Amino acid sequence: MALNLRQKHTECIARMLNLNQPVNATGTANEEVYKILIYDKFCQNILSPLIHVKDLRKHGVTLYFLIDKDRKPVHGVPAVYFVQPNQTNIQRVIADASRSLYDSFHLNFSSSIPRPLLEELASGTLNSDSINRISKVHDQYLEFVTLEDSLFSLAQKSSYVQLNDPSAGDREIEEIVERIVTGLFCVLATLAVVPIIRCPRGGPAEMVASALDQRLRDHLLSKNNLFTEGGSFVSSFQRPILCIFDRNFELSVGIQHDFRYRALVHDVLGLRLNRLSVQGEKGGMRSYELDSSDPFWVVNGSLEFPEVAVEIESQLNKYKKDVDEVNKRTGGTDGAEFDGTDLMGNTKHLMNAVNSLPELTERKQVIDKHTNIATVLLGEIKERSLDSYAKKENDMLVRGNIDRNELLGVLRGKGTKMDKLRFAVMYLISSENINQSEVESVEAALREFEVDTSAFQYVKKLKSLNASVATANLASRNNIVDWAEKIYAVTAGVKNLLSSDRQLALTRTVELLMDGKPNPEIDSYLVFDPRAPKSSSGTSHMRGPFKEAIVFMIGGGNYVEYGSLQEFAQCQQPVKHVIYGATEILTGVEFVEQLTLLGHKMGFGSNAAASTR
Amino acid sequence: MHVKSAKSFRDRTQEFQSIAEQLKKSFSSGSVPDGPSSSSKSEEQRSAVAIQSEFNRRASKIGYGIHQTSQKLAKLAKLAKRTSVFDDPTKEIQELTVLIKQDITALNSAVVDLQLHCNSRNGSGNTYSDTNSHSATVVDDLKNQLMSTTKEFKDVLTLRTENLKVHENRRQLFSSTASKDSINPFVRQRPLAARSAASTSNAPPLPWANGTPSSSQSLPRKQMDGESQPLLQQQQQLVPLQDTYMQSRAEALQNVESTIHELSSIFNQLATLVSQQGEIAIRIDENMDDTLANVEGAQGALLKYLNSISSNRWLMIKIFFVLIFFLMVFLFFVA
Repeated sequence: MALNLRQKHTECIARMLNLNQPVNATGTANEEVYKILIYDKFCQNILSPLIHVKDLRKHGVTLYFLIDKDRKPVHGVPAVYFVQPNQTNIQRVIADASRSLYDSFHLNFSSSIPRPLLEELASGTLNSDSINRISKVHDQYLEFVTLEDSLFSLAQKSSYVQLNDPSAGDREIEEIVERIVTGLFCVLATLAVVPIIRCPRGGPAEMVASALDQRLRDHLLSKNNLFTEGGSFVSSFQRPILCIFDRNFELSVGIQHDFRYRALVHDVLGLRLNRLSVQGEKGGMRSYELDSSDPFWVVNGSLEFPEVAVEIESQLNKYKKDVDEVNKRTGGTDGAEFDGTDLMGNTKHLMNAVNSLPELTERKQVIDKHTNIATVLLGEIKERSLDSYAKKENDMLVRGNIDRNELLGVLRGKGTKMDKLRFAVMYLISSENINQSEVESVEAALREFEVDTSAFQYVKKLKSLNASVATANLASRNNIVDWAEKIYAVTAGVKNLLSSDRQLALTRTVELLMDGKPNPEIDSYLVFDPRAPKSSSGTSHMRGPFKEAIVFMIGGGNYVEYGSLQEFAQCQQPVKHVIYGATEILTGVEFVEQLTLLGHKMGFGSNAAASTR
Repeated sequence: MHVKSAKSFRDRTQEFQSIAEQLKKSFSSGSVPDGPSSSSKSEEQRSAVAIQSEFNRRASKIGYGIHQTSQKLAKLAKLAKRTSVFDDPTKEIQELTVLIKQDITALNSAVVDLQLHCNSRNGSGNTYSDTNSHSATVVDDLKNQLMSTTKEFKDVLTLRTENLKVHENRRQLFSSTASKDSINPFVRQRPLAARSAASTSNAPPLPWANGTPSSSQSLPRKQMDGESQPLLQQQQQLVPLQDTYMQSRAEALQNVESTIHELSSIFNQLATLVSQQGEIAIRIDENMDDTLANVEGAQGALLKYLNSISSNRWLMIKIFFVLIFFLMVFLFFVA
């Protein structure tokens, strides 16, 4: 049973649009019920990657508005509200109800609405005597954004900063953990699975894992729980594993330059909610959508950039060939033959040609889109010499050190300030032993180019405080030395040496967790099983190999990790499924900005401008 | 093993209503629900509601009609797919085709009516703009559904003509020698039926090309009708010769006609292609209204600020003081 998050999410939304009645297999009901959809900003972000306007029309939604917009009454239609359960939204709903904007209100909250707000809603609508307009109130448990089939984000901003803030109090940390747990609970409710939770010891991961475990246990004990799976016999092979990690587990991935297509588009061009705006070839901004309906993107998203350019070329050639064939068959060259018998054949060809026209136009559009994107990317890469950044950073991580001159050369070379800062931070993370003089020269070079070094200082402090930032990478290298014990790890290590693709520590850890064999690296990881009774000791049978996994990164994930996890999942025999999610999907630039913020909070106030914006 | 899909949402309506009951009980001793204020608004609302509910009724009637037509169409498609040569349910197909054509024409006119009604209401100006866009969208949706139903109808008819052609070919293959004999009794048995079929298929107005395949059925029949009537009256020896000649001419004409039909369908398809380019996949957050609202808000804020500046008496007094001060300075130090 493959977990396709996007499909399940879309189904839930379709059901909600159908006024929470099961959607007929035949599509339209006997009577068309036309409705109006109203959402708030957060829920707009949830809906836009999943549903387009024509899908809305198919479900009978005629108008769609933001809740803050000034709306006029529309009589005779039910209104479907999809909002977050907070104070302002409730006030707005009460105001709308008292103005009798719509016939009936179907309220859907993206997560569970707390009791006090429900009472406030009731009292507000009673006061304005419009309570009979509220026909239904539902908790939808949909408070997360699904970007691709196996990629989701909780859209919670700056969670890394808030969790690592030295001045954060217990209460704030608890609030953040609560929000993350709510988001994860929504994901699990939509997938309708109760996974086995594993996380490393200490840090936000453990807090989130235990809170989530508690929440699931409480929920399973309640009457109408949302996880009614088949029977009491649930084998470990059917339950997925949920691995929760903290960003500090592997800091380098969030910062490094990567050269694969998806990561490049996200980092350089700013892909937000599957939408992209680039400078068109004839001037003017063009806006594109890149999601699973784009066949080129799906197939070639994880290729390196030069290969992508080659692919675009080959697709263009194939398209031109097809167009020529169509032209030939419809008699452009030979002249029309007006035989009585051949007329039929000609018209048949003509009909086939016309039928294939839409498909050809679509292919051309996709090719044009990617050509445009690739051209803009190429311009940026040349200007900032991103390919050398990516290559050198990879070398640094694999080798563990870098020639001093090379380092300074890169810092003085092309690239924006952010690129240089990222490179410097990567140098810090990847070098095994910090050479103080080198570090000072790096800092001098950074200051020379007016780069705000607070992020650099922060990472330096982090590294000195705990060596855990570095050990994740060391682990992948030490196994090569420790080959006598772990033969499996040797083959992985040799593969690492031979291939230029260095496997991320995250991917390795997830692989080990999914295998379930005891391994000193992961033995210290905690296990939570919400279905098992609290005092059970026989959970060992639950550690068998898992076929499905949900990986969650607290503090910000990105497409590099997503790509690497998908590669790992595809290479396995039999094919495994991994869903990846994070509190938010950050580009390298955004993550370094968060690090800079933390550096400021720690007092590494910079001598340059206050922010690197 | 399809597990019954667990609901991933929770119905809080009961909870909400129980809270409402509790609050109502606590309120019932206190305030009176404000009736008079709501009734003053309801005057103009009632008329708007009445118009809207009529619109809704008509729209739902049209939607129901379309749904029933598509069901009939499904039945017709099943009938047309049967490819046996001799067990041809021609009569049923003919009746069903006529019925569906009448339905579609009626629905078309109903949708056009609805749109006129909607436009006239929008023009009268006392309605709210959201209602207008809602009505316009409903009419668009109905038009789209009708268009897709018509397209399906056209496809079924094309399929039917192809099947007929196949039947004709097979008939000639199997019964090439006895064809003339079989045609004559065919004509003699149902002369009235053929003539009435020809007349009924020509009588209703045919606004679009998909009506013509049915006339292509009747055309060879009419030809054979028209040709065989004088033939029967003439000498019997000339019948075989002239029959073959007429038959071949009829075939050629049929070919040409079907080719023209196909060409017309191609042109129709091209036309719909061109018109459908307008239905690009728009996303929910690509909302121009958002930016418009923001710009309007900004403009309003700027206007307010302008007002506050321009009508500020203190500002004028301050400016006066500054001017006078500079005048003094000028007088003292220069003069």
